[in-house]
Amino acid sequence: MDHILSVLVFFPAIAGLLGFVVSKESIRAYGISVAAIEFLLSLWLWFSFDGNYPGMQFVEMLPLIPAFGISYYLGVDGISLFIVVLSTFITLIGLIALSIEKDIKNMIISLLFLEMTMVGVFVSLDAILFYVFWELSLVPMLYIIGAWGGELRIYAAIKFFLYTFAGSLIMLVGMLVMAYLYHQATGVWSFAITEWHRLILPMNYQIWLFIAFFIGLAIKVPMFPFHTWLPYAHGQAPTIGSVILAAVLLKMGTYGLVRLPLPMFPDASVYMIYPVAVLSLIMIIYTAMVAYAQKDMKQVVAYSSISHMGVIVLGTFAMNPEGIAGSVFFMLSHGVVSGALFMLVGVIYDRRHTKLMSEFGGLAKVMPHYATIMGIMVMASVGLPLTMSFVGEFLSLAGFYQISHTMTILAGTSIILGAVYMLSLYKKSFFGEVVHEKNKNLKDLDGKESMALWTLVLITVWLGVYPKPVLEPINTSVESLVSFMHKKAITKEAREVIKPTVIKREAE
Amino acid sequence: METYLYIALFAPLVGSLFAALFANRPKNIVTGIATSTLLFVAWISSVVLLMHVMHGEEVHVKLMDWIHAGGLYIPFGFVVDQVTATMMFVVTTVSTVVHIYSMGYMDHDRSFNRFFAWLSAFVFSMMVLVMSDNFAGLFIGWEGVGLCSWALIGFWYERESASWAANEAFIMNRIADLGMLIGIFLVYWNFGSLQYDEVFAQVADKDHTLLIMVTAFLFIGAMGKSAQFPLHTWLADAMEGPTPVSALIHAATMVTAGVYLVIRANPLYSAVPEVSYFVACLGAFVALFAASMALVNRDLKRIIAYSTLSQLGYMFVAAGLGAYWIALFHLMTHAFFKALLFLGAGNVMHAMDDELDIFKMGGLAKKMKWTMILMTLASLALAGIYPFAGFFSKDKILEAAFATDHYVLWTILWITAGLTAFYSFRLVMLVFFGEERYKIFGFHPHEAYKFMLWAMAPLAVLAVIAGFFEHSFMHMVSYVLPIEEYHVASGTFWTLVVVTLGIAASGIAVAVFKYSKGGFSKKWEETFIYKLLFNQYYIPKIYDEYICKPYAELSRIFWKDMDLKVVDATVDFIATTIYKSGMASRVVQSGNLSNMLRWMGVGLLILLLAAIFYSPVR
Amino acid sequence: MITLSHYLILSAILFCIGLIGVYRRKNLLLLLFSTEILLNAVNIGFAAVSKFYGDLTGQMFAFFIIAIAASEVAVGLGLMIVWYKRRGTLDLDSMQSMHG
Repeated sequence: MDHILSVLVFFPAIAGLLGFVVSKESIRAYGISVAAIEFLLSLWLWFSFDGNYPGMQFVEMLPLIPAFGISYYLGVDGISLFIVVLSTFITLIGLIALSIEKDIKNMIISLLFLEMTMVGVFVSLDAILFYVFWELSLVPMLYIIGAWGGELRIYAAIKFFLYTFAGSLIMLVGMLVMAYLYHQATGVWSFAITEWHRLILPMNYQIWLFIAFFIGLAIKVPMFPFHTWLPYAHGQAPTIGSVILAAVLLKMGTYGLVRLPLPMFPDASVYMIYPVAVLSLIMIIYTAMVAYAQKDMKQVVAYSSISHMGVIVLGTFAMNPEGIAGSVFFMLSHGVVSGALFMLVGVIYDRRHTKLMSEFGGLAKVMPHYATIMGIMVMASVGLPLTMSFVGEFLSLAGFYQISHTMTILAGTSIILGAVYMLSLYKKSFFGEVVHEKNKNLKDLDGKESMALWTLVLITVWLGVYPKPVLEPINTSVESLVSFMHKKAITKEAREVIKPTVIKREAE
Repeated sequence: METYLYIALFAPLVGSLFAALFANRPKNIVTGIATSTLLFVAWISSVVLLMHVMHGEEVHVKLMDWIHAGGLYIPFGFVVDQVTATMMFVVTTVSTVVHIYSMGYMDHDRSFNRFFAWLSAFVFSMMVLVMSDNFAGLFIGWEGVGLCSWALIGFWYERESASWAANEAFIMNRIADLGMLIGIFLVYWNFGSLQYDEVFAQVADKDHTLLIMVTAFLFIGAMGKSAQFPLHTWLADAMEGPTPVSALIHAATMVTAGVYLVIRANPLYSAVPEVSYFVACLGAFVALFAASMALVNRDLKRIIAYSTLSQLGYMFVAAGLGAYWIALFHLMTHAFFKALLFLGAGNVMHAMDDELDIFKMGGLAKKMKWTMILMTLASLALAGIYPFAGFFSKDKILEAAFATDHYVLWTILWITAGLTAFYSFRLVMLVFFGEERYKIFGFHPHEAYKFMLWAMAPLAVLAVIAGFFEHSFMHMVSYVLPIEEYHVASGTFWTLVVVTLGIAASGIAVAVFKYSKGGFSKKWEETFIYKLLFNQYYIPKIYDEYICKPYAELSRIFWKDMDLKVVDATVDFIATTIYKSGMASRVVQSGNLSNMLRWMGVGLLILLLAAIFYSPVR
Repeated sequence: MITLSHYLILSAILFCIGLIGVYRRKNLLLLLFSTEILLNAVNIGFAAVSKFYGDLTGQMFAFFIIAIAASEVAVGLGLMIVWYKRRGTLDLDSMQSMHG
């Protein structure tokens, strides 16, 4: 299995193409089995991954346009490995819980294509390849929102597409400049990200390039004030679209931050910590408050997911292993938890065709099973210890505490404000008497829904209690990343702020 | 000994998971019996551990790694020393009693099984809280008890007030938890570890300002959990939960977690007298403040809740004055008699069809003799009458305050002791004696099940005798806590005892005398002071008016006016500008060939001119 | 003495005539004629330059252009006949179905 990564990338796409000839009755089973095989492949990747080696593994390299140094260059390290597993996992879970009947074939094929692009982004080590997958991922999502969405679906889909597309164009310009600078410095063309990492640039170049990359990535995250496409996209997208959007597509932005600007421009990253942190803080507090004002369940979850992404960005810019490892872990937990929350909202939407909280109330009585899972996921979203989110949130905030005390206290309000909007959502929809006649005979979760959701619950709790199998490889790669950044930094401030191993491990 | 430790820790979890399997099924008595049995097992293990550590031993285990990133290393480690063993004994004793009692109390409830699942889950969280050997593990338990408290306060979720109170409790605790979290971060970045032993070993060489920050932030956490002012309002509202929950969580165990934290972190707190003094002052203030609200309240459970608050204040005074062992001792005795008091209140509520207004009761002694006896015992203990448990611990706190020359604190606590005695017996008098007002309202009270009364018996025994273990207790905890001998002249000592007993006895006397004659006149209810106290100093109203409502309003403004009208509108404006400029310039594409040819000519001309004037090659 | 300039001026004049024709005429047929004049203006230029510099490439290009112009006329006239049969007019102003 030397080409496991290529297989992972292209298997779903090829299987998706073959899906056109599969009959409509068996397409669902076909889709699930393809996703399951893909998931097993990614698990195989995980188990054959060497957690103690910090660098890239399973590297594949094939020159595509040698004259410009563009190559087909894949590889995973501890940072990307688990996001790949998350992508395949969420696709599988999403397919299992898929409740759409209309044009199911097209839906499943688009999902498989989407899976290819997602895995592609996370394993690409060539900037052009990365960019291609990055842009390609917009297409299936555009189609999913535009074809199966709500009333404003066309508006939402176009907004999603154009907004993120505009951002990534800026990033593309950054990439081209970067390649040009690399050519200037070394005399050869290369788009390999690992090669770019080794390039030490003067401060002013770093800052401009950092801004170019940051804008592209920030729109995807989405950072305040570039976040407004997300509520529309979530509000209009079908459940499966929201699940994948929140769980995986947003992670492209934060993953990109860790992979591109941080190691490429360590000095500029340190220089920009405060502006970025202020944006993240606004994002955390402001969107948490906006979430509280929402009337629609799905919008609450959408805004909450923006708020949590703020903590992830903050953790990334902590510039120490605790913060970055925490933010990578938080990406995973956010993927699982927000994916589950969107799925849960989808469950009730399928039954009542509304997501307004005022239409519900007392659901705990009618749908106890559903209420239990929702309760667990709400608590996970709030960041209760022994759920996955806590580990990520705790580490991210702990890491950032070294940068700024006050800002961490402000960011920490997310644990309060998160409780405020999530618990009021839970109270409004699940507690109280059953008021509406229509709610009195709602069916509780059916087989496939419980299967999908319980799996997510199990993962949330398992990785909350025992995060080691995931956190350890992440930590190995992050530690080497941070010490690399420390070595590479040219300014004194950056050397001081980037702390490779801050504290001797006394407990060992 | 490790085995006993794991049994004590995990037996409640097993019980909880077992009961949770039946959570959505109709009542199954097995869940109650199973969880109670497992708790009894946990109790036996705790007693074994207590015996084991009594003579200075310590059990320390590491279960597995939890979080390990960068330099941060947190294992699931558990330690049983003398303080933990005491806490474990208190928690398992009260919770076993409450579990057995609840089988009767929740008898007719639809969600019987769910109740036991949560109750046992709470005990597990509490055990994690007290047994953890590091701050992060403490935080797990800390949040875990918060979660269980949320679920149990909102147990009857159909009631708006219950779910509201649940959310209030959770959110208010979260505010404090943020402080605690910041405290933990501070500890990590400055001490390099979160293990208690490693942190406490380094206290001596740390900067004083840093220690102030650490202890202050940790204390914010303690203030939330122990409902100290200004985060106290949730405790009274938490009485919406079933009464056994109030007994276990909101009287005996969870609310004392804050005190436990201060006791556990005593090396830190001893190093910063400023913060400790603040802790003591706040404690004294809350003791008086809460007792004053209890004076006029008409709600059976809220009165007891305020008295809990007041007693927590006492504990903080002791902890703040450096008398950690006294704080722990009072924590223990208080757990016994307060749980007993709440369970008695539960009997009364059962008898009165969940009526809570004590002015609608009266004369219940005839129907509920045993409950009356048990509650009177508990009230005597609470009032601090010799030889009941409360006397020993409370008297010690007053003695500590006096001996350390904190006369103001002593006076406040002394007055509070009188108030405590008064409101306790006001409650007893109004509920059990006097005119049988319940008849007017058509209630048919009856005594609780026999086994519920028997379940309360151990608590009653402990409430009576626990005080006599004072010296052996002191000896035991002296292995981990600093013991200061207070040297008060024996004359002064006896004067103090007499004065304290005197005010307690006179408080009781006033209550008995007044309420046996029909209570105070209605005129009192017109006074400003009565209204102020009755409305809890208007604090809940202030919170609602100046925090909740502005927050909701601000959220709405942020959404409607900021997010939609500014941020999103800007994006849409850019998009529409491009769109409109396209619409405006589309007339150029007239489709008329000769027009287009003309444009082509113009373009050609411009390109030619550009080529001529801006040619890079001249 | 006739120099290269004379030929080029002739070519330019012819080109201008063609250009004016393209601009001013409203009949598609005459437009086609004008484009032929444009092409031939270029041809003159090519042939003259080729002759004066002794490089045959210019004349080669001229031949190319003549060949292409012939085929263009064939296709163009064919299309125009079809158009005329359908619409009964070759007026440019009547052909605006591609307006934006």
